[in-house]
Amino acid sequence: MDTPDSGGKTPLGRKTAETGINFTSSTRFSRGLTFIRTHTLFGQSPTRRIIPQTSLLQENADSQKIAFLLRKQWTLYSVTPMYKFSYDNLKEYSRLLSAFVATEKQKGLAVEVGNDLGIKVTLSTFLGLKGTDQDQIAILVQIASRSQLPFENAEDKVVWSGWFCCISGDDLLESVPEDFTCLSLFLANGAESYTAIVGSWFQKTFDCYFSRLTISPLNLAWMAAMWTGCKVDSHIAATELVFSVPCIPQSLDISYAIHPEDAKALWDTVQKTPGEVTQEEVNLFMDCLYSHFHRHFKIHLSATRLVKVSTSIASAHCDGNIKILHSKHLIGVLMLLTELAISQIQ
Amino acid sequence: MSASGRRRRGALDSGFTMDETVAEYIRRTVLKIPRHEIMEMLTTWDFLSKTQLQTINMHQIKESISQEVVELCEENSASIKQAAILDMIYNHTYRNKKIWTVYRMTKAAGEETDSFNLADFKYNFKRSLRSALKNVTINFREYEDNATWIRIAWGTQYTKPNQYKATYVVYHSQTPYVFISSLRNRIPLLCQALVHASNYHDIHEMELRSRCLDSLKDIVFKRYCQTFQTYHPRPLQERNVAPEKVDPRIIQENKREKERIQSVNQEVFGEGLQPKIEFAQYKLETMFKGEPEMDILTEKEPFRCVVKFSSPHLLEALKSLAPAGMADAPISPLLTCIPQKARNYFKIKERKGILSASCLGP
Repeated sequence: MDTPDSGGKTPLGRKTAETGINFTSSTRFSRGLTFIRTHTLFGQSPTRRIIPQTSLLQENADSQKIAFLLRKQWTLYSVTPMYKFSYDNLKEYSRLLSAFVATEKQKGLAVEVGNDLGIKVTLSTFLGLKGTDQDQIAILVQIASRSQLPFENAEDKVVWSGWFCCISGDDLLESVPEDFTCLSLFLANGAESYTAIVGSWFQKTFDCYFSRLTISPLNLAWMAAMWTGCKVDSHIAATELVFSVPCIPQSLDISYAIHPEDAKALWDTVQKTPGEVTQEEVNLFMDCLYSHFHRHFKIHLSATRLVKVSTSIASAHCDGNIKILHSKHLIGVLMLLTELAISQIQ
Repeated sequence: MSASGRRRRGALDSGFTMDETVAEYIRRTVLKIPRHEIMEMLTTWDFLSKTQLQTINMHQIKESISQEVVELCEENSASIKQAAILDMIYNHTYRNKKIWTVYRMTKAAGEETDSFNLADFKYNFKRSLRSALKNVTINFREYEDNATWIRIAWGTQYTKPNQYKATYVVYHSQTPYVFISSLRNRIPLLCQALVHASNYHDIHEMELRSRCLDSLKDIVFKRYCQTFQTYHPRPLQERNVAPEKVDPRIIQENKREKERIQSVNQEVFGEGLQPKIEFAQYKLETMFKGEPEMDILTEKEPFRCVVKFSSPHLLEALKSLAPAGMADAPISPLLTCIPQKARNYFKIKERKGILSASCLGP
């Protein structure tokens, strides 16, 4: 059999044919992937990341749909590759998913068979959300409740939205066989019950697996550093770090908000290599902030837990919640999140 | 039904129909009260008679209970004054639901403190407010700890007072301190009335805010256990620590350090229970200065940041940081000075000439 070779690739296609269709084991990934950037093995955080150029949003992006993504709280999930998902069947999927949602919602209620609760589910493509050309096209899923009003152009009210995307997921795409679609990042907004229903339908239909994408304090620190360094022209906000103190009888939260100009000035002094951010730079940035704090309060912030980061371009919470504020930096943020999702799958 | 029969009789007898707004206000106030407290508060209110109170069926939904109360109030011809008193009783019991700000009044130099006369105070306060604003509801209620509670509902020149957004003032006549909650945009008016009625010269807002009114009082009246300057620190044996039956083979490596931390911590925070505040905010405008090897910023401009601490019981949480290893012992005086300085909002600037932080600001 193939030896676990960290350098070369294993012919995964062959493996799949031998063992059957189900592609749920994640160990197959960790064996044979090469990382183009100097990522590490076994799910460790990379030592360096490329700073994404802004305005990567492709020309065919629907600006109204993009605006819909901004300034909303999204819950993050990582999704393993989907088996036999076809972009040509979106209408069919919409119909099936609508029926599924209706059935699930009616469970336990004594309702006539066939009576739908006025719920409509639509799947559509979301153009423009790509990092590279190899990225799969993003998918938007929306659950709308049909308007109860009689007249024709009464609008349906969107009650839940979720979207799949994969920004610069090259590493994963290369090693995945043809029948699989890689849309590794899933973002949901709306009732948790709907998220669970939609998730279980996708899991059953495409043999994939959703899991909550939590963000470690280490990655939050990366976000704080990288996002503080982004150039923003409007709606400039402070860089705020929220720490939660563990292991004491009364809970304590510390919010440390730095003036955006001063935060950026500090980052600009720390960050040396153009176009790239290294772990050392992130550590130095954070250590500077911790040290300034310690000078005043004699508290070691490094002993506490970083739970939330807010900057002008986006805010992220360790439970896996994100809010993106600027369309210019949308792709950059999604690229980082895709990377986290992919490393969680592995 | 007997309830409506009662109502009709009451209305006919007195020729009085209770104002709809008053009825609604009483109804909503009763709805706020938790079920098990309703009877007690109505009894304290002392507006409905014992017999009337006994007729209320407490085993129904709260909407119905409050409706019955309103009907009884109709019988007794309740006015806004009585309704306001019920609201005061509710807010005194649940005073920790509001955020209180502390104000301090000052005398002009050389002025004597006159003896306090409650009747004069009330009269002057009402007169001062009413001269500026006709549409205002003012109620007073005294409590045992020398606290005078004042409830003010504000209107405008053309509109009646909004009873749902009343301001509360707690004044301890033996002190220059006033505690105010829910005050939106009537600060100058209220302050002027307070100063005038209490014979002071001036009033200013302290940088001290919290939900726990009793703790605020503890802080400004210095009722918490202060740290005392001791020349001879108490030896550790005096502490009531039951000797643990520990296996003698287990050695605590940092025992001495742990004991040092405990004793230093006790010194800076004091022995007793800390006053209860929920947040502290520091606006820092000091120069950035990291470790010597990190002399990063060569800017001569301050590194501006705002630090907010929040906790259900902030001072106790801060006290537990050093023993938990998350802070040095002693922890910064910026944190331990909160009760002594009676403030939890600070602006820290660089002290000229010396690169260390100090407290400035009013």
